[in-house]
Parts: sequence; structure tokens; C-alpha cells
Amino acid sequence: MVDRPISASDRWIDDHGDTLYRFALARVRNSDVAEDLVQETFLAALQGTYRENGPTAERSWMFGIIKHKIIDYFRRTAREPLRESADSQSADEDFLPDGHWKPEMAAIGGWPEKPDGLLERKQFWAVFAACLENLPPRAAQVFTLREMDEVETEEICRLFSLTPTNLGVILHRARKQLRNCLSGRYFGRSQKVEGA
Amino acid sequence: MSWMFRMLPTCRDMARLLSDSMEGRLPIHVRMRMSLHLRMCVLCEGYKRHLALIRNVLRKDSARLIETDRPEEPRLSPEAKERIRRAVESSRK
Repeated sequence: MVDRPISASDRWIDDHGDTLYRFALARVRNSDVAEDLVQETFLAALQGTYRENGPTAERSWMFGIIKHKIIDYFRRTAREPLRESADSQSADEDFLPDGHWKPEMAAIGGWPEKPDGLLERKQFWAVFAACLENLPPRAAQVFTLREMDEVETEEICRLFSLTPTNLGVILHRARKQLRNCLSGRYFGRSQKVEGA
Repeated sequence: MSWMFRMLPTCRDMARLLSDSMEGRLPIHVRMRMSLHLRMCVLCEGYKRHLALIRNVLRKDSARLIETDRPEEPRLSPEAKERIRRAVESSRK
């Protein structure tokens, strides 16, 4: 490759490429598809008329584009109905047979009342990201669309051919697993401190 | 009193119902039994607050999830960047 003038699109790829890629990857869970979506986003951005200035505004503009690309992708790829095991009761290891929380789930301290203090803490978000990655892929996907992109419940059911009950079970399990993961790995009261 | 406990949801039921209640309004009789349970059960009350906190942090600023600077953070490979660069360039001609 010979040297060439740095165009806006070169700068886009350096400035936003990795971020858009991670955003897409967290949702589609497939690196090839995520790369394609980033490419489509830049191509659409070229067609667009973007007049504001500043890297932050530019980034939110691109996030707006890639969100639509991701939903379009889910629409295009007709999904098999998801078969998660239906016996949530017996598989639910957080509860005693009589339906009470297990004693180890009683460690509920350490969570703050308000989210404000957490937002600035990189460590919190790093743990959160790791906890999300530990979810089963479909659960992470559905949870992300619902809670981060605020896609309506009915739309998610349509995209993935889920019944509202299926979706309810998936979201419930995702929330519970995330909460347990954050309790154990960040808020930490349920972990014994060595040598204390 | 024990008859009253028997008609209340268990903690296992509550975990599911609390999640469902974030998706839409539940029938009034269900909400009433949930609120009775919550008044007596600190664990479920805590669980409810934790779910709300998770929702709130994400709705405030979920973009931070992809800017955590973790070493294992996924990145576009150089090959993918080059491919995208070429695709973008050829589309502008």
C-alpha cells in the first residue's frame, strides 16, 4: 500500500472501529457478523448527512446507525425458536426445595442504594462486562437488547421467535445470574476475605 | 397466620415475578401478594433493589461497558480493519 491522504473514513475506523465492533459483538456474538456490521455502518455513514462536530456527537451518531443495522440483521436471519430447558424449577440451584433463598444467597450487603457512585468506576464496569460474558450467549444477547438498547419485549419476541413466557424465563435467569455474579465479584460481601 | 403464608409466593416465585414486573404491569392480585411478601422478606426486598440498580446503571451509561480497558477486550483485527478500509474506499469512487 502506498501512502495516501487520511480521509474521514480512515479516521472513523481508527476512532470508532473497535468500539463499534465490541458493541456489535456483544449483541450478535459472532465476530464475522460483527465486522460486517461495522463495515455497513461506515458505508451508511458515508451516505448520511452529518453536520455536527466533535468526536462524542460523531460516535453517538454511529451508534445510532449500528443499532439499526443490528436489529436489521436479526430480522434478516430468521431464527430457530429457542429451546432452553423448561424445567427452571428443578434446575434452579439458588433456592431450597421449599422455595426459600439458600443461606449463601443471604449475603445481600454491599450494594449501594443509588447507581451514581458506580458509574465512574472502571473496575465496576470491567466486572460487569465479564459477568455478561459469562451468561449463555442467547441470554446475554436478549438481555443486552432489552436493558441496554431498550428494545420492546414484543419486538424481541418477534426477532427471536420467542413466546413471552420463553422471554420471561430467559430474562429472569439472566438477571439472577448477573446479580449473583456482581454480588460475588464486585460487591463482594458473599466472599470470605482470606486471613481476616 | 400460617394460611396467609401459604397463599403468598415463595422466594423462588418472587424472583421470577420481580423480573416479570420489570417487563409489564402484573395483575393487581399478584402485585398485592408480592408486596406482602416483600414486607416480610429482606432477601427478596434486596433482590428487587439489586435488579433495579442493574437496570438503572445500564440505562444511565451502558456505553461504559465497551470502554473498560480490559486487556481481553475484543478488537478489530488489522486484517478486518484493512478490509473495511478498502470497502469504504471503493464505495466512495
